Amino acid sequence: MSYKPQLTGSWWLKHRFFKAYMLREATVIPLAFLLCSLVAGAFSLQDPERFQHWQAFMSNPLVILVHTLALTASLYHAATFFVLFPRVMPIRVGNYQLPARYLVLAQWGAVWLIVALFIWLFAFGGQS
Amino acid sequence: MRSIQILRYLPEESSQPFLQSFQVPVTDSTSVLDALNYIKESLDPTLSFRWSCRMAICGSCGVMVNGIPKLGCKDFLRNYPNELIIEPLAHLPVERDLVVNMDSFLRHLEAVKPYLIEGKHAADSSQPNRQTPAQMARYQQFANCINCGLCYAACPQFGLNPEFTGPAAIALAHRYNLDSRDSGKAQRMAPLNSKNGVWSCTFVGFCSEVCPKGVDPAAAVNQGKVESAKSMLIQLFRGRAIGGAGQ
Repeated sequence: MSYKPQLTGSWWLKHRFFKAYMLREATVIPLAFLLCSLVAGAFSLQDPERFQHWQAFMSNPLVILVHTLALTASLYHAATFFVLFPRVMPIRVGNYQLPARYLVLAQWGAVWLIVALFIWLFAFGGQS
Repeated sequence: MRSIQILRYLPEESSQPFLQSFQVPVTDSTSVLDALNYIKESLDPTLSFRWSCRMAICGSCGVMVNGIPKLGCKDFLRNYPNELIIEPLAHLPVERDLVVNMDSFLRHLEAVKPYLIEGKHAADSSQPNRQTPAQMARYQQFANCINCGLCYAACPQFGLNPEFTGPAAIALAHRYNLDSRDSGKAQRMAPLNSKNGVWSCTFVGFCSEVCPKGVDPAAAVNQGKVESAKSMLIQLFRGRAIGGAGQ
């Protein structure tokens, strides 16, 4: 005769490690909102009036707040993903295993490269 | 002296587990296992728990200490200045006090064939099966598993679905798949590709946090996902049904 405690729906509240995991998974929520906004924007291109409505929607402070949250969430997700990546796909050159910190740094390097590209495109209009 | 609480379960007395307090003497070097042995020898001989080596090798003294899976011999009372509650390992049926039924874990372990399977990599079994240090380095980390089951007690996916192959079994499958002397990868990929194989893992990663031997089973499981995806693609290009690869 044995007993087995059942896992309740609140299992993830019992440890900060689980809370951090749920936060990582929850980053998809504001990102899903951003994606829906962008898809709606793509459809609104068919009609100038609808595009104006979409622009008004996008400049709503609440929408800007959720999109800022989406940016923060995706950066947090990236930070967790970049640390996990070298564990999932360790890179070997011959018998030498590339240290994980180089892979993490390389990924952040790629992020800053893309940020720099966007700053150049939007702040300087692609002009040097 | 200090107080510790233990979740007791005595099926002949009650169908419900209950917390019992004990006063145990402590020094800086008193381990959780020392405290349990003190209770059994001096306070209550009916207390049941598993232990053997006292040096984190046998993997039999796993318990939940304040809700976290720990080896009793490797965890010390000095780390818990306040409350200390010892419970049986989570996610497994409890037989008595701190003794859990490990059958489901052993079943999963058996399913992934965690041993060298001879084949083209060991054509002549009468000869020593040589391996270079570099070949050994590829799997050595995953070979440190002592089958203590702490990772199963840490894994919420195993808690929700006991049919999930689980961290240690997948880590050991991966360990043998990476071994240059082994030829059994094709046999092991079937359980790993299945619904309850690597894809049931959502990379919570707590298994690797609690592993007392630094095996990093979460890395093994997720490297297993890469292998599983490759195995599925290869079967797809060979013209076999995808459903067949997933079963």
